[in-house]
Amino acid sequence: MDVIKVTHVQKRFGSKDALADVSFSIPKGEIFGFLGPSGSGKTTLIKILTAQLNTTNGQATVLNQPAGMMHHSAQKMRFGILTDNSGLYERLTIEENLELYRQLYDLPKASIDRVLQFVNLSGERKKRFSVLSKGMRQRAILACAIIHEPELLFLDEPTSALDPVNAAHIYKGLRYLNEKGTTIFLTTHNMAEAELLCHRVAILYQGSIKAIGSPKELKRQYRDNQVRIELTNGEIHELPQGEETADRIADWMKRGFIDRIETKEPSLGDIFIKMTGSELL
Amino acid sequence: MSISLKRIQAIFIKDYKEFTRNYAISIMVLFPIVFALLYRGNESAEMGTYGFLYNFTFAMLTSFIQACLIAEEKERNTLRSMMMTPASTWDVLIGKSALVFVISSAVLAVVTYLLGSEPANIGAFLIANILSIILYSALGTICGLFSKTLLEASLSVFPVLILFTGAPFGLLLVDDVPLLKVLDYMPSSQFIELLDVMQTTSAIGEVAKPLLIMLAWTIVLTVVSVVMYQKRLKDE
Ligand SMILES: Nc1ncnc2c1ncn2[C@@H]1O[C@H](COP(=O)(O)OP(=O)(O)OP(=O)(O)O)[C@@H](O)[C@H]1O
Ligand SMILES: [Mg+2]
Repeated sequence: MDVIKVTHVQKRFGSKDALADVSFSIPKGEIFGFLGPSGSGKTTLIKILTAQLNTTNGQATVLNQPAGMMHHSAQKMRFGILTDNSGLYERLTIEENLELYRQLYDLPKASIDRVLQFVNLSGERKKRFSVLSKGMRQRAILACAIIHEPELLFLDEPTSALDPVNAAHIYKGLRYLNEKGTTIFLTTHNMAEAELLCHRVAILYQGSIKAIGSPKELKRQYRDNQVRIELTNGEIHELPQGEETADRIADWMKRGFIDRIETKEPSLGDIFIKMTGSELL
Repeated sequence: MSISLKRIQAIFIKDYKEFTRNYAISIMVLFPIVFALLYRGNESAEMGTYGFLYNFTFAMLTSFIQACLIAEEKERNTLRSMMMTPASTWDVLIGKSALVFVISSAVLAVVTYLLGSEPANIGAFLIANILSIILYSALGTICGLFSKTLLEASLSVFPVLILFTGAPFGLLLVDDVPLLKVLDYMPSSQFIELLDVMQTTSAIGEVAKPLLIMLAWTIVLTVVSVVMYQKRLKDE
């Protein structure tokens, strides 16, 4: 069963397409990553999927309903969202903020303890939101987004501007949530994060998907078939696989010149740059 | 559209906690009370002066606080986060207006006590106050939703103050500028008219007209604030 199904979605702002023609689907239980340079339409897509924007053309279905229905209370019980414009109440403690969300979602009291452990903030629960560090803030906001253990979670750059330790906390939480059945839709600029976390990724560029698949598949698909040979005299050759290269290698090998041979596999970042011609963080 | 008392209560309690820790805004409750203390025992003060004090309270307290609470939620993105929870438009708007309603009622009760005024028709007086609180808090919601920042919202109260609280004074010039007659239909003018009428009579027929005009304002402004909020749900 697909949790998200997007077919030929277009979104136009004025005379400019933020999304040109986007189609993909996400099965239940997947962590799906959307990669794309700034302005490629990632946030726009999340807004469409959560009924904050209408599409210009095409259809989007989320949790078996048209995306436009996502503002109904019954649907809102089923998903959680964290974006760069999520916020909590500065004058309230983490616990008081969570108490509000607990009541809005009509959950038992125990859900606060559980989610605090989850994001590793049990010790800070009495602190006001205004005094928290950036990483703690982000985790507190995440806690409010997942307190109801949603079926589907949207994360718009959840770890941008976080240090690796805080990011690792969040990854751990997300994996755990995913194991318990939450489908996760994530956007990021961070290739390592995508590789670490996502079952599948899509690369979005100028409003359309340029590549989609598991990180492994993409790497295989975009392997450029080069072999990298280091010789004992320090020379390095990068050659295309083929008869000619085989002869040269055979020759070097007979003379005992070869120090090291490896096939070159592109990183997600390499693929990204190839697809978009732009450099990521 | 669903309404959940539980959610409304949760939002009210949250706002109450924030309000008591937000001295810049909670200090506003003192202004009307201080004015009432100054007017108190002033023999020459007429109903018009009292009416002014009520209208001033509606604008400076009810509208102002509501506009600031809404604008702060917008500025800090907490409103958008709350829109993503099951809280419906009515849950949020009622929950967020409830605090201002309670505060305004309490302050107006104190002001009325201090002024020692005894309206002839208590029922009409109460209804006029309740309608005013609702319509001025809707006005505050509209100002808050229009403003991008807290600062903008706190400034937006001045047009309200001038237009609404000032309307009865504009009426004084009606002989020179006949067009100002429209100011008679402002809820603030009607509030003063009501106080005036009630000095001599408590007959339903006499108090009905101002109350109906205020009711019309209440309905229109509430509808406008709800429509504006629902537009804000979208991010076009
Ligand atoms: N409300 C809007 N009105 C007009 N144009 C908009 C609006 N929202 C987004 N856009 C435009 O749509 C394009 C895609 O924006 P979007 O925010 O989806 O990009 P993004 O991939 O999330 O970028 P980033 O990585 O910087 O967050 C941009 O060119 C942006 O200027
Ligand atoms: Mg974005």
